[in-house]
Amino acid sequence: MSSMNMAVRSLTRRKTRTILSISGIIVGVTMILVLLSLSSGTSASTTNLLRSAVTAQITVTNSSTPTLGGLGGFTRPSGGNFGSGGFSGGNFNFTRGGTSGGFASFFGASDTIPQSDSNTIEGLSGVYAVSPQLSASGYVDNSSVLLYGINPSSFSQATTGLSISNGTMITTTGQIVLNNVIADNLGVTVGDTVVLSNNTLSTTNTGANYTVVGIFNAGSTFGPESRSAYIELSDVQSITNKTGVVTEIDVKTTNPSLVHKVVSEIESSLSGVTASTGSSVASEVSLSASLAIFFIVIGGVALLAGGFGVTNTMIMSINERTREIGTLRAIGAQKSQVLRIFFSESLLIGALGAAAGAILGIIISLILPYFSSSISSSGAFGGLLGGRLATSLVASNILLSMGLGVLVGVLAGIYPALRASRMKPEEALRYVQ
Amino acid sequence: MSSELVQVTDLERNYKRGKFKIAALNAIDLTVKKGEIVGIVGPSGSGKTTLLNVIGGLGKPTGGHIAVDGEDLSELADKDLTHFRLHKVGFIFQFYNLISTLSAIENVEVPMTLAGVPKPEREKRARELLAIVGMEQRMNHLPSQLSGGEQQRVAVARALANRPPIILGDEPTGDLDSKSAKKLMELIRNLRKDTKTTFILVTHDPIVVEGCDRVYSIRDGKITKEFTQTDINHFKMSQGKDSLEELLV
Repeated sequence: MSSMNMAVRSLTRRKTRTILSISGIIVGVTMILVLLSLSSGTSASTTNLLRSAVTAQITVTNSSTPTLGGLGGFTRPSGGNFGSGGFSGGNFNFTRGGTSGGFASFFGASDTIPQSDSNTIEGLSGVYAVSPQLSASGYVDNSSVLLYGINPSSFSQATTGLSISNGTMITTTGQIVLNNVIADNLGVTVGDTVVLSNNTLSTTNTGANYTVVGIFNAGSTFGPESRSAYIELSDVQSITNKTGVVTEIDVKTTNPSLVHKVVSEIESSLSGVTASTGSSVASEVSLSASLAIFFIVIGGVALLAGGFGVTNTMIMSINERTREIGTLRAIGAQKSQVLRIFFSESLLIGALGAAAGAILGIIISLILPYFSSSISSSGAFGGLLGGRLATSLVASNILLSMGLGVLVGVLAGIYPALRASRMKPEEALRYVQ
Repeated sequence: MSSELVQVTDLERNYKRGKFKIAALNAIDLTVKKGEIVGIVGPSGSGKTTLLNVIGGLGKPTGGHIAVDGEDLSELADKDLTHFRLHKVGFIFQFYNLISTLSAIENVEVPMTLAGVPKPEREKRARELLAIVGMEQRMNHLPSQLSGGEQQRVAVARALANRPPIILGDEPTGDLDSKSAKKLMELIRNLRKDTKTTFILVTHDPIVVEGCDRVYSIRDGKITKEFTQTDINHFKMSQGKDSLEELLV
């Protein structure tokens, strides 16, 4: 009949009170686990959503290339799916400079970096996509353009891609996507063939034929982007005789919170490059963090309420058992032994409540997404998550919620257990209910 | 070694109620020999229970001396008093005070658990004790499944668990019918005979008084009279059936 055995007897033979005490912890642990699962699920959903919706978060350029510096960068043609808010535009466009000095950089003034740097960056942890680009001046049907050489597949992963209004994105060499302003000026459309050259056409410079596969919309009619065209990276490298180099590498991370870590890893693993980030990163990180804090606060309040419930029932139990405590002390139980008995009880309540709460929390977390599809897609989170709550069960969240449950049970038991152990046996024996 | 198990000299116990000092016990002198059954009688509030608590190490005296089985209780710290209660004293209460969530045998085991007696040994002794008090057949019953008399028998077995030299009873028959009270007193007298255990019983009950070797009468915190068994018998013989009630008032 150890302290723990006495505690077990007390709990199993006072079932109603035990269930009441435990239920407080169960509710708290269940709520905190479900909310943590929602937080993780939402975080994963928003990360995926943000990853596809926003452009690259990091731009790697030669460290001698002029960066933004208040040059009033233009908005990338593709823009952002979040409209004109924090997610709009890319950050990497800033590195190309603005309307005056920046423009010069497009026409060959940009310093380049080795294309192999993109392989190094791809190998870093937390990197989701890497898109090397080489920008240069060129001519389409004798009309000057800004040529962007890209790798089509990595470009669409690392950026929001182009806003193609007609046709498709390029998929291989020999294809070109034109800005709608140039296409209108030249009077070409999807399926036409254009001649691309690095200089004006002449008898010695006859250029090469490219098939127009798509027309994209520019951000503005007069900005530098209105004169842009996209072709395969190797095509630009071949036209400009810059094989194996690029002007910039766009990098997207697996999670917005990793941007700063990845930036410092890039800069430490590559020499002569600058990795810059844009303002949207802060917004992305802050959105994820706010959601997590929101859910944790609600869960914490629930657990706190559960803790007060346990304290309350434990104190009531001690009042009911004053005479029993007096008896134990009278027949020779030391204060520490009484403390152990009552502490064991609250530890058991915490542990049982945590276990049951975790099981219930896991079940609810698993079934919640199936019952939440009716949530209006116009709701705050519904809109963000496509009208369905996303949950993600993570072992650390289960352990955290269980740990908190046990902790609350133990903390809730400390005061009542101390109170019980400090009772004077003579007075406790005289206690009449 | 002296045959006196309890030696109380000039004992005082005062309480403070705000600014007022209340003397619960005042200049108490008494002795109890080994193997005696001693009664303490007196009206409510006279200090009977306070005296019993001081002898049992539940309360500390504010003056005088008290020695039980050679230990001066006024010198002991709280922890040592608890140790004293565990090994030197057994308690029987008016309302039995069994732990409601434990069975009869588990209740008897509690003092031995507190004393660190290994499980097989304490189970064996608990069974023996329950057999002595005639409760062997009901050892797995919870207190709520036992009658008052049966609960008090289990409480006696619990009090005997660590083989204390003295058992203190505070109105042990106070909640029992006269038949159960007589059986309990018979048990106590048998235990005294077989185990040489000393009993001090605070009581109002003539049945208990009849079973005592000596009786102290206490009033306003002072011992006013002391009766021997001869005195008790004399009262009964000379003044009739109701005389004991007069003696106890």
